[in-house]
Amino acid sequence: MHNPEPASSLWEKGWILVMGLAAFLMLYPLLFMFSTSFKDMNQIFQASLNPFSWPPTMANYEVVLEKFPFYQYLGNTLYIAVIVTLGKLATSLLAAFAFVYYEFRGKEKLFSAMLLTFFIPTTVLVMPNYLLMSKMGLLNNPWGVILPELADGMGIFLLRQTMRGIPRALLEASRLDGATPFTILRRIILPLVKPSIFATSIFFFINSWNEYFWPLLILADRDNYTLPLALQMFISAEGGSEWGIAMAVAMFTTLPPLILYLFTQKFILNTFMQSGMKG
Amino acid sequence: MLHSSSRTGGNRAWLYLLPAVLVFVIFYYRPLLEDAYLSFFQWNMISPTMKFVGLSNYQQIFASKEFGKILGNTGVLVVLLLIFNFLLPYGFAFVLTQLIGNKKAQALFRSVFFLPSTISLAVASIIFLWMYNPLAGPVSLVLKAFGLESPRWFKESGLVIFALSTIIGWKAFGYNLIVLIAAMVSVPRELIEAAKLENASNWTIFRKVIVPMTSPTALYVFTITIIFGLQYMLVPTNMLTQGGPDQGSSNIVYIVYQYALVFFQTGKSAAFAMLCMAVYVIFLFLKARFLDKRVHYEN
Repeated sequence: MHNPEPASSLWEKGWILVMGLAAFLMLYPLLFMFSTSFKDMNQIFQASLNPFSWPPTMANYEVVLEKFPFYQYLGNTLYIAVIVTLGKLATSLLAAFAFVYYEFRGKEKLFSAMLLTFFIPTTVLVMPNYLLMSKMGLLNNPWGVILPELADGMGIFLLRQTMRGIPRALLEASRLDGATPFTILRRIILPLVKPSIFATSIFFFINSWNEYFWPLLILADRDNYTLPLALQMFISAEGGSEWGIAMAVAMFTTLPPLILYLFTQKFILNTFMQSGMKG
Repeated sequence: MLHSSSRTGGNRAWLYLLPAVLVFVIFYYRPLLEDAYLSFFQWNMISPTMKFVGLSNYQQIFASKEFGKILGNTGVLVVLLLIFNFLLPYGFAFVLTQLIGNKKAQALFRSVFFLPSTISLAVASIIFLWMYNPLAGPVSLVLKAFGLESPRWFKESGLVIFALSTIIGWKAFGYNLIVLIAAMVSVPRELIEAAKLENASNWTIFRKVIVPMTSPTALYVFTITIIFGLQYMLVPTNMLTQGGPDQGSSNIVYIVYQYALVFFQTGKSAAFAMLCMAVYVIFLFLKARFLDKRVHYEN
């Protein structure tokens, strides 16, 4: 009988070590951002490998908070992310409900066409949408960023997936009791799919908060910048970058999604696992 | 089945679908048609008139040296992305689900590896720009420790794609890993135990049990690695290299943007967009062919 317990646990320790090293490498860029944001220019260039060079300086954060329209950028980012999250959530819930509750012709085709949008590369949409926004006078306006992002194929997919798990008998019973479809959605389905709604919202929020490309094209004016856009003001590929300040802005950009993730890991990981299993 | 129109007199499904449909039609499907249309014209976005040029935009692209370079770059990029975001996570998922039994360690690694997925590509680009800094960035210091001189990562043709792809590798690794772990966890335990009783090595178990049992998910991850990986490249490419040096880091996704909003040649941009879509359609077709059938009738 082959049962080399001690050997196999030694192997396991070895693998844990390998994974630990890999995990360190994955975290290193973040550690690096964190430590650089507390360094002055000399420390940055002389001790770049040392994560905690002494004494730490708050100067970068002072510059960001005092000499830089930080709160305005924070507000812009939050404004767009909240509206996009709520908008996507509303349109996704309604559409997912229609797919679960109703029977109609071309249902599967319509569903595929909606899910497909998740996979269409932004780059082919950018020019026509830019031209449209320019015609609508929405260049340099947060709504120019928001409008095209008010629906989400993956959101519809994930919510439909959970709604399908609700026993049909339950919906049928309420219908026979005279409940309108909208009441059924509001009173019966919504409470049952709360965890999914929660996870999907976080997913929408983080994505919108982090977004760089589309806002960059629409929001030309610095006053309208979001945090990810503001980052580029401090770096230059040619040199002369303000690394400490850039990392302090990067910290502020990273913290909200990171904290959200750390507090809601379980929901997020489960939802993402679903997205792959069936999509 | 709950509501068929005949029975209830009026199917209101469209009412619930309308908001999403409007967004998708206006901002996703209309642009595709507009790209197709614009690809037959010459226009600089400002002039009031567009000149019909037939297939000349496409002909110019196919005849240009640039096109070969773009395709080559895209090919190299795809290979690198597949290594970082498909092969590596595949191996890691196997190690984390089959070779490490400690549940706490598993959970910890999973959440650490996923962490970079929550971070903005703009932030990732800035961090990596500094990490690759040839004077004092950590990568150059490590190279120095081995007596090597740091290259200028973002300025040298052969290296720039590699440097940029590591940013995407870092960002996209976690999500793909999580999805693959989910698939491997759902492989029936008995199959693996049975193989172990027959003294199969881990490598054999990986090849003969895990790979066949997880192939639909693997195919999904394979496809999104390419589809999303190429898209993600827009951000670091635009922030750090603008496709340079000498188009050395441009690719089929970036070039569409470049022709549109940097060079203002809408016709060529639209033609490139069509070619880019063609590349995507191949992968989407692959995905649909093998996956969607399973998806729709499950549950």
